[in-house]
Amino acid sequence: MPRGRSESEPDRSRRPRWLWPLLALPGTAWMVVFFAVPFYGVMAIAGGRDNILFNTRDPRWNPLTWHWDAFDAVWQGIKNGSFGQPFLRTFEYVIVAIVVCFIIGYPVAYYVARYGGRRKGLFLGLLLAPFWVSYLMRMLAWVNLLQDDGYVNSALRHLHLVSHPVQWLDGRPYTVIFGLIYGYVPFLILPLYAALDRIDLRLLEASRDLGVSPWRTFLKVTLPLSRQGMLAGAAITALPMFGDYYTNTLLSASPRTNMIGNQIQNAVQTNSTRGIGAALVIVLTVLLTVLMFYYLYSSNAAAKELR
Amino acid sequence: MASHPRERGSRPLSRRDFLRNSALTGTAFAVGGSAFLAACGSSGSSASGPKATSKGTVGGCGQPPILSRETVPATLPLCTSAIKDGLPTEVGATLKIFNYADYVGPDALKAFEKQYKCKVQVTEFGSMDEAVSKIQAKTAKFDITNVSPDRIGSLVATEDMQPINHSYIPNFKNVFPSLQSPFYDKGSRYTIPYTLYTTGVGYRIDKIDPADDPFKMVDGTDLLYKAKYKGRVYVLDDDREALSMALLRLGITDVNTEDPALIAKAGAELGKLTSLVNVKVGIDDYQLLPSGQAWVHQAWGGDMINAVSYLPKGVEPSVLGYWFQPNGKGLIQNDMMAIPKSAEHPVLAHHFLNFLLDPKNALLNFNGIGYQQPLNQLTTDSYITSGLVPENLRTALVEPSQFDHAFEELQLSPQGDRTWQAQWRKFTSGA
Amino acid sequence: MKRLTGWWKNPWRKPHVLAAVTWLYLIWALVPVLIAIQFSFNKGRSRSTWQGFSWRWYWGDPSLSVLHDPTLHRALYNSLWLAAMTMIVCAPLGVALALGLTRWRGYGQKPANFLQLIPLVTPEIVIGSALFLFFTTLVHTIHLGRWAQLIGQITYNLSTVVVIVRGRLLTIGSDYEDAAQDLGASPMRSLRTVILPLLTPAIFASLMIVFATVIDDFVISQFLSADASSETVPMKIYSSLRATATPAVNALATVMLVFTVVAILLAVYVPRMLRRGQRGSAVEDFALEM
Repeated sequence: MPRGRSESEPDRSRRPRWLWPLLALPGTAWMVVFFAVPFYGVMAIAGGRDNILFNTRDPRWNPLTWHWDAFDAVWQGIKNGSFGQPFLRTFEYVIVAIVVCFIIGYPVAYYVARYGGRRKGLFLGLLLAPFWVSYLMRMLAWVNLLQDDGYVNSALRHLHLVSHPVQWLDGRPYTVIFGLIYGYVPFLILPLYAALDRIDLRLLEASRDLGVSPWRTFLKVTLPLSRQGMLAGAAITALPMFGDYYTNTLLSASPRTNMIGNQIQNAVQTNSTRGIGAALVIVLTVLLTVLMFYYLYSSNAAAKELR
Repeated sequence: MASHPRERGSRPLSRRDFLRNSALTGTAFAVGGSAFLAACGSSGSSASGPKATSKGTVGGCGQPPILSRETVPATLPLCTSAIKDGLPTEVGATLKIFNYADYVGPDALKAFEKQYKCKVQVTEFGSMDEAVSKIQAKTAKFDITNVSPDRIGSLVATEDMQPINHSYIPNFKNVFPSLQSPFYDKGSRYTIPYTLYTTGVGYRIDKIDPADDPFKMVDGTDLLYKAKYKGRVYVLDDDREALSMALLRLGITDVNTEDPALIAKAGAELGKLTSLVNVKVGIDDYQLLPSGQAWVHQAWGGDMINAVSYLPKGVEPSVLGYWFQPNGKGLIQNDMMAIPKSAEHPVLAHHFLNFLLDPKNALLNFNGIGYQQPLNQLTTDSYITSGLVPENLRTALVEPSQFDHAFEELQLSPQGDRTWQAQWRKFTSGA
Repeated sequence: MKRLTGWWKNPWRKPHVLAAVTWLYLIWALVPVLIAIQFSFNKGRSRSTWQGFSWRWYWGDPSLSVLHDPTLHRALYNSLWLAAMTMIVCAPLGVALALGLTRWRGYGQKPANFLQLIPLVTPEIVIGSALFLFFTTLVHTIHLGRWAQLIGQITYNLSTVVVIVRGRLLTIGSDYEDAAQDLGASPMRSLRTVILPLLTPAIFASLMIVFATVIDDFVISQFLSADASSETVPMKIYSSLRATATPAVNALATVMLVFTVVAILLAVYVPRMLRRGQRGSAVEDFALEM
């Protein structure tokens, strides 16, 4: 009798044990073939050899035969700036964007969670709406608004704030950061909202009854209690930002706003630099592992809590 | 690896777009057609093709091909035999062409179908890499394929091409003299030239200061470096094109150099654009200049001709300018058509090659794609007088004399290619 | 100002500032999209200067409208094909996986569960690059193009189905199933006649979400596309925006948005309707069938 089977559930024994693994088999096989193997394949290509004849990269499946030349090239690129600069820039953009996302997102999530009242459903619908508008369409909207003759410049001129149209799209870092904030802030608000909504109001009332000032109550009770939502939100927002290469291309296209995603896309899709591309993907993944696992862990914990 | 103007993610240009500009096309068929019928005269009956004369280097069948250069010409080995003389044309056939998207004029194809009572089917590829790997994988059979000078050697070495029997190609005499026996295929054993395109600087005449006319500059690419056009300046998103431009600015004419020091100098020269004009990188020159989003754009000549049809209503074609080294010492690329060994209709394929070299058909083709073919009869003037190209874009066309002086981006060794790529990454990173 | 200091002292009562921030945020988040929709009806060619209302970019223009430009409806067709096919494959695969992973207590369960969760947190550029390299360098049977895109989308979206269906499975519990089996139903039969009907709303909702995700997806579709023939709507928006787009791109995006909104509304409301009629009835049906 297998461990863990309790005598109080005799009916279960009629259920063949093979049924559940069998049901899980096709999906798991799919994920092995099209996720695990390609992912190992990235490492096999990074550790492979340049093919001089066809100017591509031959994979090596056996880790013992891996070459580290591609990683060496990545390291050289980090030192001489061609990868270092985009990496630094990406970190800078992501950090600034996330801080601003919090400044915008926290009050919104807080308001809807605490004061949404009867209109909570409406608010939630509106907060969710940006999710269902294609990211590219939302960028399209801003590219149009930021044109020389777009509504933003018209408004600024109307208010006499500028005399000449501002060339928002001529390769400015802050336009790119703005795009990132606009693009990803909805992803931050929802986990924040979920965390704030779960806070037991009686805790806040207790704090208030004890004579603690509202501001201190916020700092000492609300903020710590929403910490998990904040971290989860930060993780889920930062992960796609680190891989973004389209926001800056659409809003700037200047080398000055080049992010690591652009370098990855370019290296992977150029035949002769696939090895370097694969190595860059590995490096980025390793850097993001902490974020990825933190998010998995926290969402798993949240799911268990709900049960 | 040098990329081709047609290697963009998706190229929305279609013949319909091109025809939308009625000013351009109104006269195209009437004037152009008759003028060139007269111009090309009667086709002679010289059956013999050009002789393979030079003592060029021979790579073997099944061996890695050599990197052919002007100074190191290649006579490609005859790994298979060509078709016999005087074979009958296949009946009721479908000619299968393997080509870039929108890179053969639909009217030319229709004329061919009518003349040879056959059907034509075009299969598109996105890049030359893709084309070569698909032909070498032998998964599909094509009668005709587009191929670049740097790839023909490899395709011949893997025995995927068949030699051309020149007795079927009487129109070959129309080809520019310098391309009758090109260095990449001495004796034109396997290829006939298809299109030509230069890489220069496209600009908006109405937006730039008249004092900045690039033709009055020692080097027209200085226009890219004018700080007052900050935010409006683009270079082509292609390592070879952008860095070669910088090499030529520095007076280094070997645009196929593999010397890391020279490439690094070119990278530094190119990098100046970032601080001077906050340069952008893109490949949509044919749209960005007509729309006015770009004022100065490193550009392909053929794209500038296409750009005319992208001008918004009310904007005259005369606002478009294109600078190319007037002495011809600039960047020129060409591509070719060839017959794969697996062709199922080789006779019809030969007829098609011959058909394309007829100036009348080349004009039909030009009208569809905006890229010129290197044919003697089709002088620069003839495009202008027939109204196919506005006078101000005359410079986007190539004269035979220019072709002789130009520099062509050719295949590099894998090591050299990596050096170029690394420099390009450095530029795009803004470091 | 008085109000502001008032709020500072006692932000419990009238959170005007918070309300203002929230509404400003919502306006900022949504109005640009509405303006983009507005410009899909522009009479002129501009995407930034309003020149009057027309249907030109939907069907009026004989060559550039969504209806008449072949590249635009090819993109639309490709997106819808990809989304529909992903749904069709993800449904059985995902439901079976959710059932298996929830009920399976054995050695393989943990790693299998972990494996299917990872795509949820992996940046798309990593999955896109991995599959791009897989199809170009490692296997030579499937080439880049729509089938590669389909495989990529299935891989990326399978976990969505699993997570949603499993959530529902956990709330259902195993009581119904045990009851059915106590009454003598075979495991397969209890699965088919009890569990699947109970899961239908969740399956439906998850598939609608998959549909909406796939038609909006850019990175994976772009990495795995071969040429213009496998271009999807977001890719078309991207390439047009890099060059010079007409309001036809706005029109195309608007059409796509309509599809998404319909899918989401269905995802929200159909399960509610289904559930309303169904609570308890599955068991009754089952009993009758016996």
